[in-house]
Amino acid sequence: MKDFDLVRLKDELGERGILMIFSGPFSHSIIEELGKAVRNHLENASLSRTAMMDVFAVYVEQAQNVRNYLERWQDAPEGERFAHSGIVVIARDRERYVISSGNLMAQADAAPLVARLEQLRALDKAALKALHKERLRQPLSDAGGAGLGLIEMARKAAIPLQYALTTVDEYVFFTLRVVL
Amino acid sequence: MDKLIVEATRSSPAIAFDAETRQLRICGESYPENAAAFYAPVFAWLKAFIAGLEPAATVEIDLEILYLNSSSTKIMLNLLDVLEQAAQDGLQIIVNWRYDPDNESMLECGQDFSEELEALTFNLVEHPAP
Repeated sequence: MKDFDLVRLKDELGERGILMIFSGPFSHSIIEELGKAVRNHLENASLSRTAMMDVFAVYVEQAQNVRNYLERWQDAPEGERFAHSGIVVIARDRERYVISSGNLMAQADAAPLVARLEQLRALDKAALKALHKERLRQPLSDAGGAGLGLIEMARKAAIPLQYALTTVDEYVFFTLRVVL
Repeated sequence: MDKLIVEATRSSPAIAFDAETRQLRICGESYPENAAAFYAPVFAWLKAFIAGLEPAATVEIDLEILYLNSSSTKIMLNLLDVLEQAAQDGLQIIVNWRYDPDNESMLECGQDFSEELEALTFNLVEHPAP
């Protein structure tokens, strides 16, 4: 049991302010169920409806981004490994809520994503609104909202979107962190 | 023309389009697994409905949306564009965007949409939370 100490795990989750964590293969119904749980929790925390829906919205965008990306690997030789790589975390840091997500990614997919995030990080709220207006008019791609989700998260965020890349074998593990 | 009635699920809104009364309503949350597939029959119904209307007919649509994910946001604007085109062609189109004043995101979303539309009448209407 030494390697399976749930008390220690729970303590660590508590110390890090983690309210909800999901690690493993995502399905649409899991995204729905966890979303419901998150909203129940935030309602009990007597958060304003706007703040609660912002946490929920950023959680849904991130979870659906992870799921949509990993779905593309479904039939690949490493599909199982990719499917299990997804994680979403909702944490509270003093007065802020922090929604993070991560998944394995091909190196080639990380570069354009990083370029988009760097572009968003440099924009203020007015410029983000203008970019949102422009992207709203672009057609829906197979991959989803053509980057609209990232812009919406950036508009809601208290500080610029944060990201990290960690090399894992020939892939990268991409992490996105949104502070509300 | 048959009514279009779709029951709400946790991640998709209820839809009630009635050709006879020319009253259309979408109500609920929208973050379906595949937004394009979910809304395809809605577009098909709406286009057939508009094609069958008399010139200068009045159509009223109530949108009572609690949450839209990013792909649903794009699709909702596409849907409003279909109505905008109908308004430019001479129909009287009234859109009532009913938002909960306690949820600022949906007010902002309605404001973003209204900036994109000219010929149709777009009303932002405060609607108390259920």
